[in-house]
Amino acid sequence: MLLRIFISCFFGYLILIGSVSADDFDAAFGDEFSDNQAVAEKLIADPLQTLNRGTFWVNDKLYFYLFKPAARGYRLVLPRPARVSVGNFFSNLATPIRAGNALLQLEFRKFGTETYRFVINTTFGIGGLFDPAESVAGVKKQVEDFGQTLGRYGFGHGFYLVLPIVGPSSLRDATGVFVDSFADPIRYVNLETVEYMGVKFLDAETRLSLDRETYEGIVHDSIDPYLFIRAAYAQRRLAQVGEDTYNVNIFEGPLFDGDLLNPFDWFGF
Amino acid sequence: MKKILLGGLFLLLFAVSSFALPQPQAQVEKMVDSILGVLQQSDLSAAEKKAQVSGRVQEYLNMPSMSRRTLGLHWDSASEQQQKRFSALFVKVLEGTYLNRIGDYSGGTVKYLKQRVKENKAIIDTVIVSDELEIPVQYKMLYGNDAWQVFDIVIEGVSLIKNYRSSYGEIIRKNGYEGLLALMDKKVQAMESSM
Repeated sequence: MLLRIFISCFFGYLILIGSVSADDFDAAFGDEFSDNQAVAEKLIADPLQTLNRGTFWVNDKLYFYLFKPAARGYRLVLPRPARVSVGNFFSNLATPIRAGNALLQLEFRKFGTETYRFVINTTFGIGGLFDPAESVAGVKKQVEDFGQTLGRYGFGHGFYLVLPIVGPSSLRDATGVFVDSFADPIRYVNLETVEYMGVKFLDAETRLSLDRETYEGIVHDSIDPYLFIRAAYAQRRLAQVGEDTYNVNIFEGPLFDGDLLNPFDWFGF
Repeated sequence: MKKILLGGLFLLLFAVSSFALPQPQAQVEKMVDSILGVLQQSDLSAAEKKAQVSGRVQEYLNMPSMSRRTLGLHWDSASEQQQKRFSALFVKVLEGTYLNRIGDYSGGTVKYLKQRVKENKAIIDTVIVSDELEIPVQYKMLYGNDAWQVFDIVIEGVSLIKNYRSSYGEIIRKNGYEGLLALMDKKVQAMESSM
């Protein structure tokens, strides 16, 4: 009797492992491994390519003649650690967007992580200037936005869109950005339009000043940067929507176990 | 009786895991270590580093497979001579792209997270860890030429080969095969002159 239970458990276990890992494996490989060459090379529809290329060209000029020089000046004025803190501050402030979308996707664990990070970083991190939640407890930010939420519920991109200043997007993701802006606390501070834009500019410049010339690299190396960025955008967003297939989650708090500090783990979510 | 069964179970599990195990990940580790070995030599000039890395990486990559997959459907419709020209240019484009990044290296290590193997295919999940960022990098490998070789690298969910396939495919549809080769040729020359 015992033996029988044991054997059935064992095979059950094998089948379970087998099926889980097979799905996972095949999903991760996708069509890449099949020698079938008829793999769709179109990653995203682009009916407005002429318009998009125009916007892309304008953005490119804005980047090299406005945003990049501004970032260079910014680097001279403010040392790196200070810029990191400014970036942390904006990131912390945008928590409602990430937490809200985690909730909409029923990702309670991510919601818990974001809530936890907000509490720790706003208090111990002095209003979000520092990120002890990650640097001390090893709990990482969970990037979620409304475009991803729509994607999770089966909405496709619609078509590719290059937005002025913002850059690569799509019908779905641009809608997402608009919806997310309602969860952005900065919107509810009483700011004049010019001031609001100034704050957004600072946010963007901070990120740019910390970047390592990714865009320059792409422009330098690819035959057609427009196509390369479009493909990378489509792939990146797909990966973000179906995050679990590739994402790495290394909760390794040097002082605490990150999971221990996540209240949602206490109740077994 | 139970003990024997349990023992057997462990033996079996162990056998299963060791049967599939070490080669593909060990191969990636060897490649990464040999690249880092060059990058971390502070007495080498950038040009010397490039030359050394380029020589060392080749054996770990399955270039024919990378070229073929990059062209996808267009591979079959190209003549053998065109295929050869494409492969030669593609190696140079990849080299130019990645060797130019060598100067950006400022420390960082690689953590190996997971290895999955199925028949002659393998996926290795790693993450590059440096002071301020962590970049997930996935290696897709095939067993061929008596060794595990990388044929695609997926960085933060973006597959290198898919990216090239998508953009090159569109260029071929617009400018034809020769048009693509001409553009690649021009790019390679620009890269070489700037190196």
